This record gives sequence, structure tokens and C-alpha cells, in this order.
Amino acid sequence: MATEHIVTSYEDELKYIVRRISEMGGQAERMVEQAVAALMRSDWAMAQSVVADDLLLDAAQREIDERAIKTIARRQPMAIDLREIVGAIRISNDLERIGDLAKNIAKRVIAVHEHSQPMQLVRGIEHLSDLALEQLKEVLDAYATRDHRRALAVREGDDGIDAMYTSIFRELLTYMMEDPRNITACTHLLFSAKNIERIGDHATNIAETIYYIKTGQQMESERPKDDRTSSLAQTDMTMPSAPGGTGA
Amino acid sequence: MNFQSVSEPVARQDATGRPAPRISGQPKIELKDVSFFYGKSQAIKDIRMTLPERAVTAFIGPSGCGKSTLLRMFNRIYEIYPNQRAEGEILLDGENILQKSQDLNLLRARVGMVFQKPTPFPMSIYENIAFGIRLYEKLGRTEMDERVEKALRRAALWEEVKDKLSTSGLGLSGGQQQRLCIARTVAVRPEVILLDEPCSALDPISTAKIEELIDELKEEYTIAIVTHNMQQAARVSDLTAFMYLGELIEFDETNKIFTSPNNPKTEEYITGRFG
Repeated sequence: MATEHIVTSYEDELKYIVRRISEMGGQAERMVEQAVAALMRSDWAMAQSVVADDLLLDAAQREIDERAIKTIARRQPMAIDLREIVGAIRISNDLERIGDLAKNIAKRVIAVHEHSQPMQLVRGIEHLSDLALEQLKEVLDAYATRDHRRALAVREGDDGIDAMYTSIFRELLTYMMEDPRNITACTHLLFSAKNIERIGDHATNIAETIYYIKTGQQMESERPKDDRTSSLAQTDMTMPSAPGGTGA
Repeated sequence: MNFQSVSEPVARQDATGRPAPRISGQPKIELKDVSFFYGKSQAIKDIRMTLPERAVTAFIGPSGCGKSTLLRMFNRIYEIYPNQRAEGEILLDGENILQKSQDLNLLRARVGMVFQKPTPFPMSIYENIAFGIRLYEKLGRTEMDERVEKALRRAALWEEVKDKLSTSGLGLSGGQQQRLCIARTVAVRPEVILLDEPCSALDPISTAKIEELIDELKEEYTIAIVTHNMQQAARVSDLTAFMYLGELIEFDETNKIFTSPNNPKTEEYITGRFG
């Protein structure tokens, strides 16, 4: 904002909430990076640290909620202040969910590596996580600069993640059908991929909240989704087109 | 006037580019290039706006911005003071009330006013209501009793005073006195009610009762309220006008003004960044 509040303690309360959101964002980002790295390298210790960090993120979300509610009760915020506070509640909720999803990936590290799986599959997930992390970084920057145009671009960028997830889904199905011994590991990888795809969705939610904070308008129409795995026809699932597929 | 808009740069301005909300009701009061002078000092600058019928329009702005002055123009109560002058046109149902031929008694019967501090007359509760009615109508005892009761019921005061109508109005609490003043205003069957900071001297419970009353009264009357309490403006009004240094900076639906106003000055004021 160009000018500050007359009441400095109000200004301090709002700044504190915004700063905590930025800290949560940084932590959520780190957790996703580490969870995927742990999955790549079968690093159990790193996975454990991600699980532990989630407690901190949960606590931060509760703190922001409490602070926001107190500020609403004490200051009855209006206009941009009201949108900032409602936005902070929404964004901290999205970041907390991102932390949960990273934790869930971390918990699968041991299960995945008890079974062998092709390195090529893990690479696909790494690439998917690169895309999701890029989205997350971009949306956190958009929040820091209150740049709703950048937020809009993040929302559009989610299509790439959805498309890649659909491709990984098909690939994993192929491996599972090739050799039933792959099913356990591939299922864990599939859940991990889905978690990463959901992280992209939360980045999109944050982008929509930034747009609301900045403009006072809600984004309107539903964005077209490229994750088509929930609507793939039965024949699609039984007749994968990936190379090496055995067919029906 | 500098009027910034995020999403709808055209729809919320009138033909001259001034701020204008979408109004669903019939226009009740229309201001056309209205200015006001205290001697040589201009307190209201060239205001154009329309107050719709049976809706509550709130005027907000820092002290000295001209909101009370503007309210006082709607029933020309400023004329009781010397060296004060209005320019432009204020149309009440299409007729200019600023013209010299306007009957001021009739105007003040059509446009009632309630002030910041309760101003009951030093007479009984009953007479506080009946006094105003007698100025305009000659009624028999039974009819007058009915009118007094109806006015007190309309102001949500009847149940509290029905057993002590002959006692002095000055013996009532502040909140009751203010509702008595509203009853007195309503009793002469006005079309417009002007409220000049009606709750600033009241406790929260009395304030809530007055706000509840405003909500009921708008079904029958056009209401204009000046308030320093932003939350109150947000709660009770349909439209809000933000004034600054005698100018109308922004006029829009209340929901819009208090969640995402178009003008940065409005935003700075309602969020407590200046004033």
C-alpha cells in the first residue's frame, strides 16, 4: 500500500500476517523439494525431516488463522485490508495442504524403494515436481509483489502439470500391466504424482486469491482441466498406448 | 474528477464521467451541480448524484468534508442561519426545492430530520409526538391517539412507553429519546428522513435498536444518513457516498465501497490511512 494506517499497531498486525504467509510459502516450497528429492534418492532421513517439518507448517497456519480472526474482531477491516486478511486465511490453508501433500510423498519413500521400479518413471515424477515447484515459486513471488497478472499466468500454467500427470498415469498403468510385481511401487508413485498434481492445484488456488486481493473481483469461469485421468474411458485404461504395452 | 476503476471503467460513471452507482429504485432526490457557501467559503463543490426511493444512502467522509452540510440542504434547514447560500438544483420528485417559491414548512414536513443529540421537547411523551402533527393537521382526540401510538410503534418505542405517555420525554434514556425523535419525525408522515449521526451519542444496544429501525423504515421512506461510524454505514445503507473537501469522490453500492472501492482516496479513508 502506498500509505500506512494511522494506527501503527494495526499496520504492524497486517504486516506480521503477510510476513508469516511468506515464511510459510518458503517452508512449503522446501518441503516439496525435499520430499521429491527423498523419493529420488531413497533418502529416509530426509523424508523423516519433511514429516517433522509439517508440524511447523500446521502450527503456522493455526497462528495465522488466530491472528487474522483477532484482527477482524479488533479492527473490523475494510476494503483492501479485509481482502488481505481473508486472502491470508485462504493462502495459509492452501500452503498447509501443500505441506500435507509433501508429507504424504515423504511417507511413501520407504514403501516405494522396497520394490524395484524403472528409473525412467521416477524421472517423470521429478520432472512433474519441477513444474509444480516452478508454479509454486512463481505464485509466491506474485504474492510478494501483489502482481495479479503473474498470478493469472500461474493459473494458466497449471494445464502443463495436468497434462504431464495424465501422461505419467498412463505410463504407470502400462508398467503395472506388464508385470504385476510392479503394482505396489507403481501405486505409491501414482499417489505421489497425484499429490504433486494437487500441489499445482493449490498454487492455482493461491493465484486466484492473489487476483482477488489485488482487484476485489473473483476469477470467474472454471479453468479447463487437462487432468483427464478421472474421465478416461474404460477402453483407454485397458488398452494403453505406451510402448511395450501388452494390450487387452 | 479522477475516478479510477479496476474492471468497469464506464458502467459506474454518469454522462459527465462522475461516479454513479447502478440504481434500481425510482429517483427520489436528484442533485444537479449543487454547491454551498458559508459566506465566501465553498463547503460543497458541484455535486451531482441521485438518491433512490425507499433505500438508505449513507454519507461518509472526514470531519469538515461537507456531508452534514449537504444533508442540511435537503430540507433547507440551513436557511435559519445568515450568510449561507446554495447553488444548483435539488429535485425532490422532480421539483427543485431550492427555488425561492418553495414552501419551507411543507418541505420540512416532507423531509424530516433527526439530529446527532436527541432533542425531545420539554413536554410529555405524548405531546412530543402530537405537537408536530398539530402543525400540519387538525385531528380529533381518538384519531390523534391512534397517530401517536402508530408513530411510537413505528419507532419501536411503544412497548417501552405506553404506560407513561404523560410523563416528560426528558425522563427517557438517550436511546429512547432518539427513538422518540424518530417517532416525532415519522408522525407527520414524511417521504424522506434525514439522519445526522443519529447514534453517535448512544450505547451499542440503543444503536442496534436504531439500526434495526432504519432497516424497517426504508420499506416506506427514503433515508439519508450521515455517520462517522464506517461499520454502521456498511451495515445499514444500500448506497454509500464518500465525500472529501466538499467533493463527492465516490458514490456506489455499499457492498462495493466497503469491499473494493474504485477510488484510492476512498480506500485510504475507509481503511484508516487518513482522515
